[in-house]
Amino acid sequence: MRPDASKKIAKATPKSGPNPVVIGAIIAVVVVLAVVVAIVIGNNGKSGSTSAASGNPVPAGVVGGTGGGIFANAATAKSNAPTMDAFEDFQCPTCGELERALGPEIRTLADSGQIKLVYHMMSFLDANLGNDSSTRAANAAACAADAGKFLQYHAAVFAGQPTKEGAGYTDVQLTQFAQTAGITGTALTTWQKCATSAQHAKYVTDVETASGQAGVTGTPTIKLNGTDITKTLTTPASLIATVKAATH
Amino acid sequence: MASGGTAGLRNLIGLLARLILGVALVVAGALKVTHPAVSAQAVRAYQIFSYDVAGYVGYALPVVEILIGLLLVAGLFTRVCAVVGALLMVAFIIGISSAWARGLALDCGCFGGGGTIASSQTQYPWEILRDVGLAACGVWLIVRPATSYSLDHRLFG
Repeated sequence: MRPDASKKIAKATPKSGPNPVVIGAIIAVVVVLAVVVAIVIGNNGKSGSTSAASGNPVPAGVVGGTGGGIFANAATAKSNAPTMDAFEDFQCPTCGELERALGPEIRTLADSGQIKLVYHMMSFLDANLGNDSSTRAANAAACAADAGKFLQYHAAVFAGQPTKEGAGYTDVQLTQFAQTAGITGTALTTWQKCATSAQHAKYVTDVETASGQAGVTGTPTIKLNGTDITKTLTTPASLIATVKAATH
Repeated sequence: MASGGTAGLRNLIGLLARLILGVALVVAGALKVTHPAVSAQAVRAYQIFSYDVAGYVGYALPVVEILIGLLLVAGLFTRVCAVVGALLMVAFIIGISSAWARGLALDCGCFGGGGTIASSQTQYPWEILRDVGLAACGVWLIVRPATSYSLDHRLFG
């Protein structure tokens, strides 16, 4: 009699029920698809393209290519003055503190031409705070640059910064800042149109991207001739000493 | 105690490890997945990856955390998911330690938020300790993936 092969066959046949390999492969595909979708959605959200507004998309005084900062004192800066790059977000409380502590001194240095003052207004706090005030204020400040009043507008926004982070700025406030900055008459009409139409929205996005690519991950970041000096800036005296040391 | 009793206890410890690591991953992922821009910025704040790569990591990480977390909670492919979960924790520990060592002041951004904060507000020791605990859950499951109430057991015996 031949030996019964049924036991052998039963052993060789895969156990009925779900196959772990198939389930694993399906799950792996789902994971990969989900990751790809997440990256695509994230990248789309980043571009945040707005409808093209009329007028110049890039504000006056921008230096250093796409997403470069606004050279705020081109008229007064001496040729041998060091370049101070300031990366700020209008909704950042620490930037407000810096402005209160050193803003007047920075403007004095700029007005007397001892620094080349370049402002990069970032907008990443919008995502953290769930509003769009950083972007709107940065656009409004870029519109003020067109009017030749960037520094004044910048000071007015920080002077009006809400004590509670995230409260943001209303359109009425942004217009009040323009008036405080001394933008009047037809210049104010032009500014208003620029602010309302988000004329420099793409520029604002470009600044955020370019600053991030330059390694700026937090605000305020102050660079002098490319060196990060944020932590050394404690008093007006320390600021002046640092600037003096960098002047050749 | 009989050997069966010890195995039962170990299965229960495994269940606990699965749930702790799994729920932590699901919660961490869910809090971040709806805010991809914040997540990307949180990764950039570590200054480890290039701008674009940090963006991709920021977008992808929450999704991976949620999926691995759900599989761990269900107990499906426990060992593979535990390896991924433990590796994630080791990566987080390295990232946080590296930021700490370089004098950066960060919120780890583990459960949303993130980015640069005042140096007085950093919580590096606690963040690292928490991730070490979660990594330990993962290691237990790698060594002993059999757990109570797992789909692995139901489906594959």
